[in-house]
Amino acid sequence: MARFFRLWQKKRGERRTGSRLAGTVGEAAFFGALFVLGAVALAAYWTSQAIAPHPDFFTIGWGTWLATFVLASFILIGGAGLFFTVLEVGASAERRSALARRAGDIELIRESRSRFRRFPTIPRDVNLTNSPGVRLAYRLPGLESPAWRLVAAAVTALLCVGIDTVLIAVAIRAFHIGKPEMALNAFLVPFSSVTAWSVYYFTRQLLLHTWIGPTSVEISDHPLYPGRAYEVVLVQGGHLKVNHLRLALVCEEEVTYRQGTDLRTERRTAHEGDVFERGGFTIDPSAPFEHCERFAVPRAAMHSFQSAHNAITWKLVVTLDLHRWPRVVRGFPVVVYPLIEGAERGSAD
Amino acid sequence: MDPLISIQPSEPAAVYRPGDRFECEYQIDAVEATEVQAVEASLLWYTEGKGEDDMGVHFFQRRTSYDAEDHDLRALHRFKTDMPRSPLSYDGLLFRIRWCVRVRVFLRRGRSLVAEQPIQLGPRLTHLNPEPAATAESTGA
Repeated sequence: MARFFRLWQKKRGERRTGSRLAGTVGEAAFFGALFVLGAVALAAYWTSQAIAPHPDFFTIGWGTWLATFVLASFILIGGAGLFFTVLEVGASAERRSALARRAGDIELIRESRSRFRRFPTIPRDVNLTNSPGVRLAYRLPGLESPAWRLVAAAVTALLCVGIDTVLIAVAIRAFHIGKPEMALNAFLVPFSSVTAWSVYYFTRQLLLHTWIGPTSVEISDHPLYPGRAYEVVLVQGGHLKVNHLRLALVCEEEVTYRQGTDLRTERRTAHEGDVFERGGFTIDPSAPFEHCERFAVPRAAMHSFQSAHNAITWKLVVTLDLHRWPRVVRGFPVVVYPLIEGAERGSAD
Repeated sequence: MDPLISIQPSEPAAVYRPGDRFECEYQIDAVEATEVQAVEASLLWYTEGKGEDDMGVHFFQRRTSYDAEDHDLRALHRFKTDMPRSPLSYDGLLFRIRWCVRVRVFLRRGRSLVAEQPIQLGPRLTHLNPEPAATAESTGA
């Protein structure tokens, strides 16, 4: 019985369970009504002024112009919605997709010699190959920037400390004049705890940022192809006692979907292979750890893939288990192309 | 009775390689010629699985009765194209990538019918992890 009383004919995301025609008609009716409401109300509003002019009508203020702006937005939203709804009537999903692809092709005309037109759905690797390495051809960028986390932690800690200091001063003054603020004192206990945690977190991030040092990964060639072997150099700076260090080649599937009003992202590891492991050594600031290794992409590996809601990503992941430090994981993206004879970078570009 | 749509790729059982010539013919039966207003043939990939479905059209052809001989869209029609280099067919943990030929027939009074013929692009690729770990995160909207 529940299905007869369901308000929204939608199971999940864009998959409809109800009639497509009824949905389209409803959408057109909604936007049409919005358009008519806006147009009629705006016309009536301004016509009334034309028929019986009021001296204050054009004065600068909120009333007249706000009403005009709101009613004009009704016309715009309703008109545009109705136009696009009507445009989609009778157009199949394939036709819309083909039109979108044609529009994308026009944009890509400027990019002559582009591999992206010849390998659709494979993400661009421009940002991965624009930084030459010292030892090998390319220095890979990191997936996440620790600086942003550090800046966020610093701003949070500063805000918390500032507010906490002012509140403590107010509480002390109230105590001195013999009128203690009990509500304020009660609030200060948890807020001071939050402040202490934010300071601790900022200090930890600062130490992680300065003490552990940068991780650099260089690779001999890019993009990667299944079955091919490549050289990789890992350089780790800092002042560290390393219990275990691991460099791995990881492939992840990533999907996004809507669940109610939430947009969810789920990832699963589709492949994880060790490049090398090392344990029980120290890194000195004057002598960073440096290691060169060869690795191969599995012959049966799927290539990188990117569409609107589904993706296959490849990356080199450095995992550091440190003495008296939390585990540090740093990722460096790579792009894997399908192995097609005669279509690789050198021969195809 | 609904019209019958038959789709026949030149090598239905074969695995197509990127760059291969792909030829396919289709025919519509059990319907009056005047009933058929338009026919769309596509070669496309789509995803299916836990994420929202995505789709990409590699080849698309729309024919109306003015494009057909004797204005009859039911007759055997052939199209050909070169297979793209990606994405290859894939069986993953969270989603799959499928290729197919899709023929959509538009009839009078707004009715439409769809028929599909799956094909495979590239070798059968799957995930390589026997015991995958899942991580999920959500962002509110």
